[in-house]
Amino acid sequence: MTDAARPHRIVGQPIGRLDGLDKVTGRGRYSADVSLPGLVWGKALRSPLPHARILRIDPSKAQALPGVLAVLTAQDLPRVLVGRRMFDMPLLARDRVRFVGEKVAAVAALDPDIAEEALALITVEYEDLPAVFDPVRAIEDGAPVLHEDPGAYDGAPPERPHPNVQSVLRFKLGDAAAGLREADRIFEHTFRTGLAHHGYIEPHAGVVAIDEDGRVQVWASNKMPFRLRELLSHAIQLPKERIRVNLTPIGGDFGGKGSLMDLPLAYYLARVTGRPVKMVMRYTEELMAGNPRHPAVITLRTGVTEDGRIVARRVTALYNSGAYAAFKPAPSVNLGGASMGAGVYRIPHLLIESFCVYTNNVPCGHARSPGEPQMVFAEESHMDMIARDLGLDPAELRRRNLLRDGDLLPNGHHLEHVRAQETLEAALEASDWAKPKPGPWIGRGVAMCHRHIGVGFTNARVRLETDGRVSLVIGLPDTGTGAHMVLRQVVAEVLGLSIDEVQIELATTDTFETDSGVGGSRVTHTGGRAAYHAAEALKEQIRAETAKLAMPTASLAELAQAAARAGRTLEASYFYDAKAHGAVTSFTAQVAEVSVDPTTGHVTVRRFTTAHDVGTIINPIGHQGQIEGGLIQGLGFALMEELRTEDGRISTLSLGDVKLPTIADIPPLTTVILHDPVGPGPFHAKAIGEGSISPVAPAVANAVADACGVRVLDLPITAEKVYFALRARAPRS
Amino acid sequence: MLHLTVNGTSHDVEIPTYRTLLDCLRYDLGLTGSKEGCGVGVCGACAVLLDGTMISSCIALAVFADGREVTTVEGLADDERLHPVQQAFIDYGGFQCGICTPGQVVAAKALLDAIPDPSDAEIREWMLGNLCRCTGYYKIIESIRAAARPRRP
Repeated sequence: MTDAARPHRIVGQPIGRLDGLDKVTGRGRYSADVSLPGLVWGKALRSPLPHARILRIDPSKAQALPGVLAVLTAQDLPRVLVGRRMFDMPLLARDRVRFVGEKVAAVAALDPDIAEEALALITVEYEDLPAVFDPVRAIEDGAPVLHEDPGAYDGAPPERPHPNVQSVLRFKLGDAAAGLREADRIFEHTFRTGLAHHGYIEPHAGVVAIDEDGRVQVWASNKMPFRLRELLSHAIQLPKERIRVNLTPIGGDFGGKGSLMDLPLAYYLARVTGRPVKMVMRYTEELMAGNPRHPAVITLRTGVTEDGRIVARRVTALYNSGAYAAFKPAPSVNLGGASMGAGVYRIPHLLIESFCVYTNNVPCGHARSPGEPQMVFAEESHMDMIARDLGLDPAELRRRNLLRDGDLLPNGHHLEHVRAQETLEAALEASDWAKPKPGPWIGRGVAMCHRHIGVGFTNARVRLETDGRVSLVIGLPDTGTGAHMVLRQVVAEVLGLSIDEVQIELATTDTFETDSGVGGSRVTHTGGRAAYHAAEALKEQIRAETAKLAMPTASLAELAQAAARAGRTLEASYFYDAKAHGAVTSFTAQVAEVSVDPTTGHVTVRRFTTAHDVGTIINPIGHQGQIEGGLIQGLGFALMEELRTEDGRISTLSLGDVKLPTIADIPPLTTVILHDPVGPGPFHAKAIGEGSISPVAPAVANAVADACGVRVLDLPITAEKVYFALRARAPRS
Repeated sequence: MLHLTVNGTSHDVEIPTYRTLLDCLRYDLGLTGSKEGCGVGVCGACAVLLDGTMISSCIALAVFADGREVTTVEGLADDERLHPVQQAFIDYGGFQCGICTPGQVVAAKALLDAIPDPSDAEIREWMLGNLCRCTGYYKIIESIRAAARPRRP
């Protein structure tokens, strides 16, 4: 790596994104914009019932509708089950539906309106089955069972204390039971969080075409093209070499765009119609069946000493996973965010148990920092409740327990360069924590978390073109974060070029063998390091070629042209594979200042402070954009967003009902950056994509408690909840 | 037969009466710059100008545009010269994934046409109907402020 003390030319510059031209002019072609000759439209019919046997499906009227080219049911498809890690979901329900929104039939038609009309003409006879919706109920004896033998599914983890448990994830330090016995005081609280959609504005879209030679071409809003090729290969029963995934811009991901979604159906429709097939989900379908964030029920039991030192903690999380495990990509088939049950604290005796539970709800998946906003809300609210009970300033209780260098994380990794305390103090200082509050019904709340720097593997290739520019060939899509701009800046820095002299050339899945794609706050690290090392190798080639051709004063263009005449291309590739998390993490501390309207219960965030311990910032515009975007998602999760369900039916089926934050909802924001270049990324970068979302909800909840004494234990913190809590407390007049 | 002018070019198209203006633009005319997000007129990704007035094209029928003039995101730049709003969105990070951006820049252009030097409160009120999930809106406000700046006397 380069000397961190050396000033950079391009790295660290707030350069506007060069791909911005496509975005602001509407020229960029997203998956839904792909058009091919003969293209037809696919649509899926979905179950209206949460749990039912399918007795009969009659597609004849739909088949007879002019403009309809094909109708498929499970009978027409191979008996294949799909998933990202655990393969438990049919392409179309075969004899049983397990959630409202499960696909039971698919149609291809000349236009989307005809396809929708055809869906209405398919009749399905169902017989209701007993259903279960709450994860606590689902793991009781006698609860309706969703899958008779989940252990038989490919990728199913072995441990299964109840047939409705998908997976168990455990983190253990010391002996929690013994530790709790030694504590002076024990606190136990239970929290709940709601079902939340990612809220990307681009619904899932994909086009599948089968070439004349039988090759399958795919354009999809998917952030892991290489993994998609593998999963699709399994779903459509073709070798992966027969499939090419083409990269397109992605209209927002936030963890949601890593699965197959409708692509296998689009393939089977393309095969039977002989035409390319486009499937674009309606936003209603997104909200009904789009692999949202897991609702959670979380109980924390913490033992402390009289002076507020944590001795031991036991955490139990039930994540309501819905009807299938198919959308979870981690080998554990669980949510890594559960490890944040330990917070940012040194806890000698710790046991965290996380259960993902089958219920007759929409199957949940990964969402920006999976499982973590739920857990951090619970954990950081719990810390505040302990502090108030002990009569300690909530910041002081945290201070006494913060992680330090050499401490262990719940996963057993030890930490270095721990800046938890500086990050906390920076947030307190910038938020005027120690100053008197400006009035009654105003409160302040603090919350913290830390987030790992992601790992994975990326291929990069850099090539000197004969016009003197350098192309970076990369198989990582840009989900919107500006990752491609970061990679360009890295290559330009290494090669001493201007930013305009480096261009991105999108790979397809034919270009490289593999790539772990986008996710888990990894791209600056893995993509950045792959690009960095490939550029270093190209630099060496340029040096060697200059010597070989004896052209010491030649421009890069002249050199490339001379090399081309000699039959050589100056090109270097690098495969970077970071297998294990390092000893460095990133801390976040946030302070919310809220006011509560005593007559309505409405919560207004008056100001918000977010402090981050970060590595070298490659592009400050993109970096700050990640902080702000994640933070406002966290604010929506805290105060307004929820997919409301009634017996498995989501009743908020439009973006008008879900209440994503608008431009009018954002509070005055202060960002504090603590710069510490010790990350594993290029030029010692760390990660930022998931650093700001999780502590927002507990910071707000803690501020609400500080403002009016109402402790909200379940998200979102709506005016109704605060109002009724205030009313229950007030003396009757 | 429907006659409409889009970004200065006139078109005659034969389409079913139930076709939305958005689908007509995207699939009959091939202008895929306008995007479909929510499909119910609340996210603003499909915003276009109909005779200069901003509308959600996903809930307007194409026949409404008969004999009228439509401006989409593709029509904002003057040849290769970007509209100040478009340039500001690039320079100030007013977009990330870009899927809402066509609607954002159309709405922001309409705002600056109506109020050349808007206050933050006016920006917030005008842009209320354009959802963005990536940016948290701070940089959208900054971009619009910057786009308004050169117009100030």
